[in-house]
Amino acid sequence: MPEKRKDMALVALTCIFLYGFLLWAVLKPVDAQSASERRPLAAPPAASWNAVFSGVYMTDFEKYALDQFPLRDKLRTVKALTALYAFRQKDNNGVYLQDGYISKLDYPLDLRSVDYAASRFRYVYEQYLAGKDMAVYLSVIPDKNYYMAAEHGAPALDYAGLADALGARLDFAQYIDLFPFLELSDYYRTDSHWRQENITDAAQHLAGQMGVTLSAGYTRHLAEAPFYGVYYGQAALPLPGEELYYLSHAALEDCRVYDYETGMNIPLYDPEQAAGRDPYAFFLAGPKSLLKIENPQATTGKELILFRDSFGSSIAPLLAEGYASITLVDIRYISPSMLGRFISFTDQDVLFLYSASVLNNSKTIK
Amino acid sequence: MLFSSISFLFYFLPVVAALYYASPRRLKNSVLLAASLFFYGWGEPRYLAFMLLSITQGYVFGLLIEKYRGKGRSKALLTASVLFSLLLLGYCKYADFFISNFNRATGLSLPLLKIALPVGISFYTFQVLSYTVDVYRGIAPAQRNYVDLTAYIAMFPQLVAGPIVRYADIAGQLRSRTHSLSGAARGIRRFTIGLSKKVLVANQLGALVAAFKESAEPSVLFCWLYAAAYMLHIYFDFSGYSDMAIGLGYVFGFRFPENFDYPYISRSITEFWRRWHISLGTWFRDYLYIPLGGNRVGKPRWLFNIAVVWAATGLWHGAAWNFALWGLLFAALLMLEKLWLSQWLNRHRAVSRLYVLFLVMISFVIFDAESVAAAFSHISAMFGGRALPVFTVESVYYLKSYLVILVLALLGATPLPKKLAARAEKGRYTQAACHIAEPAVCLALLTVCTAYLIDGSFNPFLYFRF
Repeated sequence: MPEKRKDMALVALTCIFLYGFLLWAVLKPVDAQSASERRPLAAPPAASWNAVFSGVYMTDFEKYALDQFPLRDKLRTVKALTALYAFRQKDNNGVYLQDGYISKLDYPLDLRSVDYAASRFRYVYEQYLAGKDMAVYLSVIPDKNYYMAAEHGAPALDYAGLADALGARLDFAQYIDLFPFLELSDYYRTDSHWRQENITDAAQHLAGQMGVTLSAGYTRHLAEAPFYGVYYGQAALPLPGEELYYLSHAALEDCRVYDYETGMNIPLYDPEQAAGRDPYAFFLAGPKSLLKIENPQATTGKELILFRDSFGSSIAPLLAEGYASITLVDIRYISPSMLGRFISFTDQDVLFLYSASVLNNSKTIK
Repeated sequence: MLFSSISFLFYFLPVVAALYYASPRRLKNSVLLAASLFFYGWGEPRYLAFMLLSITQGYVFGLLIEKYRGKGRSKALLTASVLFSLLLLGYCKYADFFISNFNRATGLSLPLLKIALPVGISFYTFQVLSYTVDVYRGIAPAQRNYVDLTAYIAMFPQLVAGPIVRYADIAGQLRSRTHSLSGAARGIRRFTIGLSKKVLVANQLGALVAAFKESAEPSVLFCWLYAAAYMLHIYFDFSGYSDMAIGLGYVFGFRFPENFDYPYISRSITEFWRRWHISLGTWFRDYLYIPLGGNRVGKPRWLFNIAVVWAATGLWHGAAWNFALWGLLFAALLMLEKLWLSQWLNRHRAVSRLYVLFLVMISFVIFDAESVAAAFSHISAMFGGRALPVFTVESVYYLKSYLVILVLALLGATPLPKKLAARAEKGRYTQAACHIAEPAVCLALLTVCTAYLIDGSFNPFLYFRF
């Protein structure tokens, strides 16, 4: 008799599980976006004879069934907890946790990628800068693995090799070493980026090496929305949100930021973006191909052209104090061959400021 | 469609089970057939025609063989059916292998046909062959109901990756079978165990294997880690699939043959092949080895028979020389054991287990290699032949990251968990706890497997390519 009760319980529970999720999946409204993964979710596929016969319909349905499954984010958390705590795996889908910080495995050093990035930077130099009275600088921003990997026992990039390789290929630029001015606490716990309020010393060093002095008299403000970085969704772990601080300065109050894509001015800091899909877009509206920060209060006429990735968005407002204008160029979103239409290269300082992870995965650079 | 997919678990299976149990007894095979065709067509709509062609010829020849039983024409009909099946399999699976080798031997450059392999063709071809041969031998009567025969060969639980079910073993169940609560519960238990073996163990070890293959910093340690991980991966992948197939069989009232019996506890290669992919081994024994004369011939012919059977077994797994080499390695080992080693292995229990594990691990390195040269390169690297570092940060990282899964897999490859569960079931104090815990554990495993499926896309079954 107990055997029969056990069998009944097993069959009943399994039926409830399978049919419950079937009904839920069928009846629940279709979600357009995954907030945690920052990507659009697959929609129900359209059936047609061609789609069915070629198998495309089935492939799309599999994606749809996965993407629209009820409790998707909670189940991803179950998986992450099982992998990290039951199976004691060191990472979950390449994302690992060390001392409360999350990072993603990125190794080994891909010299072909570094070569490609260098070739694009050299193209910029030869096309617009060579033969002109322009000082050119180069700096590499370490990713969090530089600080976390060894303690976690994880493989990481050869950072010295990366800096050496890049420096050797860009002999026209003076290399500024930022590594001694950064530490793990300068980065968000759940994001790949550095925290603006913690990089003032790095900004001062950078500016100093380029012949500019920053005052460092910043006021710290707390954004209202909690900050959930890019790794928060990827890790799928139940972690708290972080504080998003930003810095203001009297010299920055009159700064104007012109967005070449829209032809409009945008704010240095946008609180609405902090609550959006990519909260790091709080700084200079996130991914933008071409921006110009003009500082009417600047005490110098010096100008800077900053070739950058997303890390540049939070350090540029700090550098703005020392320059009459900073032009931010992200050649992941605009081809370098088009820059001559928007920028007249004359006597500005030029800084190539790139994170190690973009240099090691540089195929997005145009 | 994969068993370990959301579309199977949460769409196909519940709907098919509901239709099946709601339909009257006389329509159950038809429901099963319709579901099986949908299941197969879901992944490979274009290849339904191949499968139906293969089944239809088996059906027609089966009837004709029975009609002319005892006459010379019956043997000719069997030969025609076997040739038809083998030519279809040869065309789909081996044509490019033969063309490329012919090109290499002659210096010609005949164009390759580049035919995509229909999923499960090796399995359903062998089932059709066993059906017509069994009818010819008089072991089973020809099936006059086309739906029942097609339902048997195309039955979705065992269609694409076995076990290879003999018609004689299932003919009676096709006519009448019982459905019970205990059968359904047993099926759910077995299916859940198989799903967990596949999703929680095999897929994770597959990720470790993939990490090794993508590694830019290979080391001796990583080579050994890969070999051990692949050996466990293929076992958990394939036996997990067989468990799911057998479990689904129970749910739909069938009893499929066992396909694995803890092969890694074997103490000889001979024993290993009695425990590994049992339905394939017995198929080759009954339909190739014994017709060739088996061991009731002179020694040279007997050794030749072994070599033929194992070359065929290797090539059944894939149309490439590394598979043939894999099969011939086992042929050589089986000959060695039969001629000299078996008694020595019997006397040395611990060494014999290590001997099996080591050689099977090496064999699976060959099995998984892209070519024979790559296989030897891998094996050479394991023994320091490629001057690789002994270990790297990366290899130590992966060892630590997968240590728990590897240990669980090693334990799970032995009968220990089953023995412990059986003991707990009989224990005075643990019995009641087991009765409560078992449904809860099954549900928890289903939930965790679902979570893994939702999170990951690394999910292909290895045996789908055979």
